[in-house]
Amino acid sequence: MAWQDYVHDMQRCTRCSYCKWIPYRYMRQTDFIQGCPSISRYLWHAYAGSGKFNMAYSLQQGRIEIDDTFLDVLYKCHMDGSCDVSCKVQQDIEPLQLMQELRIKCVEDGALVSAHMIVIEGLRKEDNMMMARRADRGKWAAGLDVKDLTGDTAEVIYHAGCRYSYDEELWPVARAGVNLLRKAGVDVGIMGGDETCCGGRAYELGYAGELTKYAEHQIETLRTAGVRAVVTPCSDCYACFKVLYDKIGKKLEIEVYHITQYLDKLIKEGRLKLSKKVPLNVTYHDPCHLGRLGEPWVHWQGKEIKVMGQMIVHDPPKQYRRGAKGVYETPRDILKSIPGLELVEMYRIKEYAWCCGAGGGVIDAYPDFATWTGAERLREAKAVGAEAIVSACPWCKRNFLDAAKETGDRIQVYDIIELVERAV
Amino acid sequence: MAEKELKKIVGPGNVLTGPEALEEYAGDGLFAPAVTPRCVVRPGSVEEVQAVVKWADTTMTPLVPVSSGAPHFRGDTVPGAAGAVILDLKRMNRIVRVDPRNKLAMVEPGVTFGELQAELAKSGLCAYLPLAPRANKSVIGSVMEREPITFAAHHWDSCDPLLCAEVVYGTGDRFRTGEASGPDTPEEQWEMDRVQMNPFGHSHVDFQRLISGAQGTMGIVTWATVKCNYLSRVSRALMVPSATLQPLIDLMYLVVRCRLGGKLFIVNGLDLACLLGGGSREVKKRGKSLPPWVLFISFEGYGPLPEDKVAAEEAEFREMAKQGGLEPVGKVPGATAAAILKLLSGPSAEPYWKTRFKGGFRDIFFLTTLDKTPEFATAVPEMAGRYGFPAGDIGVYIQPIVQGTSCHAEFTLYYDGADAAGTAAVKRLDREGVAELAGMGGFFSRPYGAWADAAYRRAPGTLAMQRKLKEIFDPHGILNPGKLGFRELKAEEVR
Amino acid sequence: MKLTREEYRALEATVGPEYITQEPVIMDTYNQVWGNKFFFDAKHSVRPAAVLLPASAEEIAAAVKACNKYGILFKAFSSGFEYLSLSLAHSKGILFDMRRMNRILEIDAKNMRAVVEPYVSVYRLQLEAARHGLYTGRIGVGYSAGVIAAECCHHGCQHTMVSTSGYGRNVLGVEWVLPTGEILNPGTGESGGDLFSADGPGFSLRGILRGRTGANGGHGVITRASVKLYPWYGPKEWHQKKQPGEPLSRGQLDRVPDGYRVLVPTFPDLESQLEAAGEVCRTEILYGLSIAMLATGVVPEGNDEDWAWARKADPRMADNFRQSLVLVMGAPSKRMLDYREKAARAITDKWGGRFLPEFNEPKALARAFIDLIWSTGVPSLRITGDFLPSSSSPDGSPDMLKRLALAEQQIVARYEGQGAFFQKGKKAVTWRPEEHLSIGAQGISTALYDPYDPMSLKAAREFIDELFDPRGKLKRFGVPSRGGCLQIEPVTHVHQNWGHLYDNYDVWMMKIKKVLDPDTVGDWTAYIPPEYPDYARDGDYVLPSYGKEEEL
Repeated sequence: MAWQDYVHDMQRCTRCSYCKWIPYRYMRQTDFIQGCPSISRYLWHAYAGSGKFNMAYSLQQGRIEIDDTFLDVLYKCHMDGSCDVSCKVQQDIEPLQLMQELRIKCVEDGALVSAHMIVIEGLRKEDNMMMARRADRGKWAAGLDVKDLTGDTAEVIYHAGCRYSYDEELWPVARAGVNLLRKAGVDVGIMGGDETCCGGRAYELGYAGELTKYAEHQIETLRTAGVRAVVTPCSDCYACFKVLYDKIGKKLEIEVYHITQYLDKLIKEGRLKLSKKVPLNVTYHDPCHLGRLGEPWVHWQGKEIKVMGQMIVHDPPKQYRRGAKGVYETPRDILKSIPGLELVEMYRIKEYAWCCGAGGGVIDAYPDFATWTGAERLREAKAVGAEAIVSACPWCKRNFLDAAKETGDRIQVYDIIELVERAV
Repeated sequence: MAEKELKKIVGPGNVLTGPEALEEYAGDGLFAPAVTPRCVVRPGSVEEVQAVVKWADTTMTPLVPVSSGAPHFRGDTVPGAAGAVILDLKRMNRIVRVDPRNKLAMVEPGVTFGELQAELAKSGLCAYLPLAPRANKSVIGSVMEREPITFAAHHWDSCDPLLCAEVVYGTGDRFRTGEASGPDTPEEQWEMDRVQMNPFGHSHVDFQRLISGAQGTMGIVTWATVKCNYLSRVSRALMVPSATLQPLIDLMYLVVRCRLGGKLFIVNGLDLACLLGGGSREVKKRGKSLPPWVLFISFEGYGPLPEDKVAAEEAEFREMAKQGGLEPVGKVPGATAAAILKLLSGPSAEPYWKTRFKGGFRDIFFLTTLDKTPEFATAVPEMAGRYGFPAGDIGVYIQPIVQGTSCHAEFTLYYDGADAAGTAAVKRLDREGVAELAGMGGFFSRPYGAWADAAYRRAPGTLAMQRKLKEIFDPHGILNPGKLGFRELKAEEVR
Repeated sequence: MKLTREEYRALEATVGPEYITQEPVIMDTYNQVWGNKFFFDAKHSVRPAAVLLPASAEEIAAAVKACNKYGILFKAFSSGFEYLSLSLAHSKGILFDMRRMNRILEIDAKNMRAVVEPYVSVYRLQLEAARHGLYTGRIGVGYSAGVIAAECCHHGCQHTMVSTSGYGRNVLGVEWVLPTGEILNPGTGESGGDLFSADGPGFSLRGILRGRTGANGGHGVITRASVKLYPWYGPKEWHQKKQPGEPLSRGQLDRVPDGYRVLVPTFPDLESQLEAAGEVCRTEILYGLSIAMLATGVVPEGNDEDWAWARKADPRMADNFRQSLVLVMGAPSKRMLDYREKAARAITDKWGGRFLPEFNEPKALARAFIDLIWSTGVPSLRITGDFLPSSSSPDGSPDMLKRLALAEQQIVARYEGQGAFFQKGKKAVTWRPEEHLSIGAQGISTALYDPYDPMSLKAAREFIDELFDPRGKLKRFGVPSRGGCLQIEPVTHVHQNWGHLYDNYDVWMMKIKKVLDPDTVGDWTAYIPPEYPDYARDGDYVLPSYGKEEEL
């Protein structure tokens, strides 16, 4: 659906402001009841999900134009979907999809954020979102005893993703992921230097063509590699493979796993034994793309109809994505199975988790905002008494590390892979 | 000339000019300077009130509304300057309607608590009373002046138990507040179950709040509806005696927090002795035997299970008292709770209970919060001592209001008018002492007489706004001029 | 109308450049709200000339003084959830978005009051107050609504008004920036004490603060308020939970918390239901009451799910639903709860009520509890996109409200029959008691329509025209104050047509407006205008003559 197809949604946004908060039923601690980093940081209503409906409607009505302010508001947003789940507790409308379509429109119209243009230029040239050379992509796996699927075959392909491939500080995590799989006897391989971006982040920036391009490329690569499943330690890549490819009609024909799902399976099958104590008091941060944005895509085609006089329903009935079917329990199950580790929950979790701050291109274009959002999350982690914050996505880890450095925070930051590795 | 005009409006028999009649309205004893009114007018209907007000507005004649009988004690019904006309509303004394289903009554200004209580009882209702009001106290006079009622849990708002009112503004316009207004007469409204019950509005203004606590400066109320309560089918009462005030305050907080009980207040031994009756000697004697402080509470049984209600509330209260190491009792030497409860069901027996001890008395009251009352209870006698007034002659009454979010703290200075030193001390306390108390945070929300100086010195913004509003409803300032922060009419203004 | 450079600079100087905007993109998010389509015939009302984010009363006072100097309209809002909070009479007007003033300044647990700034939401205060065993009432507009909006500025009702009152009865103090830029602190606020009374000295300025409908930003800005709190008998913290995979709307408590009991009796007919409701209120045992609005069922996540449920529902269930009450009782002890429950059961028995198992199982009761205490279970605005709070808005005796509701139902039924409104089927009568019914109750009934369906919108306007006709048969039930409150009729038109029927209240109000706002800089679109526009005084429905002209 194009942005103009959401006009009725724009009209039906009541301005209840639910998009600014986590759903009230889950509010527990008044310092941590805001849901949307964007409105929390930038204050003006436009920065909330509701504001995007308002802006879109004004645009559609010819009252405003896409200008720098429009772009500023639209892109100072992590696209984390918090507004979307909160809104849909109350309404049958689609804030996140509208925001996505607005970004696509901006790109189509050539209204671009310069920081993103550089990133996309890099993507187009080097197939990654890190403004790095294609030739360096496989370096993270140097020395790893793992199949190279450019010439070999395996049951499972391990897709490291751009962040893990190029963020040297995170390489040990990416490598640990492979080692764990291998330790459990999984027939796994990697594409190494031939791995490319999934296209998901570019899509979130509004570059829809890039998603199609990389989806087609991945389909071809996976087919050629003959794998039965793809496992990725990156939540962004997971949501892209699992949700976005399906959304654009390029659903992968093989199984898509986030590494937490695969590790959980291995643990439950007894193939990975977590026997060493990890005496840590941790809290788990739900990556948006594994959680609410990792909910499978639901295809629907139909029309709005009226029943009981004026009740607005759909024919056929439309199942809205409300975030409930994201991956929430699996990483928690893993953490709970680590001896000696104590899991304490934050106030905003699962569907209504606060974003790490890296998403939606914010880390590229507005790093101070990314850090601010990350620091807010660290504040919450400390408020519940956690020694460490654990996530399941390299973007989260990177942003938390940056936020901790910026704020001088001494909280430990882990990816779940690291803790499993310590426990094995 | 004026009298002639007024006689045309209210009839010759209802304009009083005799010196004796005028004397009754000329002062309140000690405090307000005595000013003899020009005449007393006694209207019999709202139309007559309107006509008198219009006449006063035209002639720039100060009009002082009075509804309670003499003697008056607070100065608000004494003319501020010569030439005033007293508008005595006692002739308007109908209990217009009692509505048992909705627990309310419509009364005119001349109705006293005794009269209302008797009428309500026929319908199984009772009135919300202040603490043993004097026998000729007008219900409307009390309610419009935001006098506290003893039923703390039912005092939701400072205006309670006022519901709606008909008022004649200083322009002569008639207005009905809240739900009472509209195209229909009250009688027509009753037919459609509109019972002048809801006080809100109209629209963006709560008009009744602009006439309550106004000492008759903003309008003259010609009828009002008041909230009533069920007459208890069973009731019990307890006292909690204490040597000091603080434990009772702690207990009071527990009680008001969950809106427990019916009549609820704290008094000191002297006030209790006065309430219980007798002459000066008896009061004195009883005062010595009574505990220094008493918290009084009643449990009122109504509804489908009156016995259960009373039993549950009493048990609850006893447990609360126990928490604070206090012992509720039915009687103490010199008093029983049952006897006090009986006293609280109507106006004071004659003579008025505050006159029993020494003949003269002066109340000093203000609003504060319960936690601050021990501080005031210490400060007032100390201050009295400085002014040469015996600390032992001070009654104390602490009444939680607005469901305990604040309280009315009343210090009664009992004095003998023949005692020059004592009288002088009371006079000084009434002015200088009040200023001191205001400085301590005592809020004189109903500033009578000289208290207005102390109160408005701390409220210049409020006063400025009140003056602007007064100009709307009483553009020529004829309604009870000189009261609150409003100016007197100058002699040359009076036509 | 854009501000001149000088005007903008003057305003900018009050809050600083970071906290003022006149970007069209941003300002056009401050004029779109539900109800606008009905009221202004467009989703957009007039675009403000600037929006400010002040941080203090002093900043607001300075900005308001600039407004007086340059003839700029202003209005403040907190959550901005209704047309009246954002509408401006003309485009040379600014809005104060109060979200930076968001502190709970004090909770005085002993004296049962809280002092808050405007952006403190009702639910946020409830979370904090609960830690002190206290509770604040709310109005039924969701959890984003500000405490100050609910208590000081705006009309609304709620299920707990039986024990927590409302409509300004809970205001113990305010800090109020008047339209002149002066700051007024009535009562103890000015006298230097704690904010426990806003009354006096002398008559109470609460009289001009809000009345029944609230001034809706029409007479200045309330920058701080002290509000009365009520006892809370539940836990200090609570956690509504759902099962994995369930939508968020399913979150609930496992059971009614200790300290509360809930009963849902069902009665044989309307008469017995309402008689029982009246009696149970007057027995003073209730913490909350809902008549014919049960919310005992699982909250459906969307209209499609709702519709699927409705098709499967047993029609007898609808009758039971309509003839039931939700009685929420709270008390500090088991003893008091036992008494209250016993009394409620006795009244139920007396009026032939019974307790249907499906409404009275623990989870159903917990759902009803949540709905009454914290928020509405079923989102009214989702069903058709909009709703009209209809005529039974006057407060009064339950008998009067019943009479009015029944009269109104005949009218609503016609429109529902045409398919113009959501068809609710057989009608219930409902009212919300205030203070154990000692000051009456508020009638509440709604018509759900789709403002973007021309037929439905046209019918909605005809319906309102019929209901709110000062020449019509409902004219005797009170001023339709929602004209000055929600999206019904222009305030100008309502006051002009009804004032003369109701003791000329409008004349007095206009004078008050003039005293408060001599330069007419406080936006009056949801208050009272300085003078009436040139409408015919005939009562026919009109669109507003203001709030539209603008230069983009």
